[in-house]
Amino acid sequence: MRFDRFVRHALRAQFQGLPPRDEFMRHAIDAGVGSIALLTLLTVFSGMNLAVQAFGTFSRFGGQEMLGLFCGVGGIRELYPVMAAIVCGARIGATLAASLANMQISEQVEALEVMGIDPMRRLIAPRLWAVTLMLPLLCAYADAVGIVSSYVASVYQLGINGGVFISQVRDIVKFEDLAAGVLKGVIFGWLVALVACYHGYRAAKRDGAEGVGIATNRAIVHAAVLCIVINMLLSALMYT
Amino acid sequence: MTPVLRLLECLGAVAFYLFSIVRALFIGPRYLNETVRVADLLVRRCLIPVGLAVAPVGAVIALQSVHILRSMGTEGLLSSLLATSVFREFSPALASVMVAAQAGSSIAARIGTMKVRGQIDALAVMSVDPVRYVVVPGLVACAFITPLLNVLATILGIFSGWVFAVPICGVDHGTFMVNLYSQVSMIDLYVGLSKCLVFGTAVGLIAGYLGLNTTGGATGVGRAANNTVVYTIVFILVADYAASMLLLSLEL
Repeated sequence: MRFDRFVRHALRAQFQGLPPRDEFMRHAIDAGVGSIALLTLLTVFSGMNLAVQAFGTFSRFGGQEMLGLFCGVGGIRELYPVMAAIVCGARIGATLAASLANMQISEQVEALEVMGIDPMRRLIAPRLWAVTLMLPLLCAYADAVGIVSSYVASVYQLGINGGVFISQVRDIVKFEDLAAGVLKGVIFGWLVALVACYHGYRAAKRDGAEGVGIATNRAIVHAAVLCIVINMLLSALMYT
Repeated sequence: MTPVLRLLECLGAVAFYLFSIVRALFIGPRYLNETVRVADLLVRRCLIPVGLAVAPVGAVIALQSVHILRSMGTEGLLSSLLATSVFREFSPALASVMVAAQAGSSIAARIGTMKVRGQIDALAVMSVDPVRYVVVPGLVACAFITPLLNVLATILGIFSGWVFAVPICGVDHGTFMVNLYSQVSMIDLYVGLSKCLVFGTAVGLIAGYLGLNTTGGATGVGRAANNTVVYTIVFILVADYAASMLLLSLEL
């Protein structure tokens, strides 16, 4: 199935009434709760790394006091939404692609069609809704964890004044920035789920176990690249 | 089995795996043709993802910092900021993440498929060491191609930063170039390249280990490919932070 046709079918299935509730809940819990541990770990380290790296760069020309600005803008506007999307692509997207590909090669999707159940509505729509609704929450969570870990690294490791850091973050990060991060989360979540479902759904029976590996691989790579490129376009639209 | 025993068993398996890789690297037959074939394949597959991942990041850094720096009247610092962050941080980290996503998961999936189909056991029966023939070429290829791809990614990142800063946001071309050359030194390049060497090796090691330990048919192959990417991203971010702290304390 070609990608544009898949997108049309998926969109129609998504807005054709409510998705099946049990499937939706299962995938939403898996996508949201299941990613929290990994996302926390990664955000803590990248937030601290952002502060340390910025400190190293800025101290070359004596601008250590700008750390709060850098961590606020770089983190909340750009880094954490993209991080959440890539983590989501690597964990949730890959799982979705692998499970759908597995269903395809063991002919479970055809079995659904034979029983007169539309696989798009039964399988794809709940997955798309689950990831689209969960990723913005994960983005907001990553924003909070990331800024706290940047603060901890700046104040306790690098000796920056905590009050200055907080006031700079408050100055530069406005409500629109947080909203923009969450909006990015919605877009990335839909894209990640769509790409993952497409590659999983496209696997054919003759590919066997290899097909599952290929679908997983493509889902991760295409989702990550797509999110980074779309992020640039969105930022260029929002901030120029 | 108690958790302690399971942990010991896992540690033992990892230690044995590392030992057999070191042995295969230094003693006995080497499959150079296979290594070159894998490296060639991986470079072709990774080239576009790595380029597409790093180039937008340079653009975004230029875009975001130009407003802040302009409001402080220090627009000239833009290229210094861009160059140091791309050279030392974003290009190595993102290039390695994309190599993990593309090369790592495809290596793990390939080895996992071979394991599930019993081809790994067939190799062992024919007295070809699977670690030597299947894992080591992938490992060496990853360790070599990640620094090479990083060089390309760095150039692309700086170039796309220039595109956004100079023609689009109107920073003076001369100021941009002067600050670029004054701040970047060979140390920045070496830091990026050595980070990439470590990360690339980690990609190969993790992909090989998870691939060889695949169980459970087609689902297991997907899980191996998936876990490779997740574990490698965790490793890259944690190691990146440790490297930043180390460099800061060494004042490099």
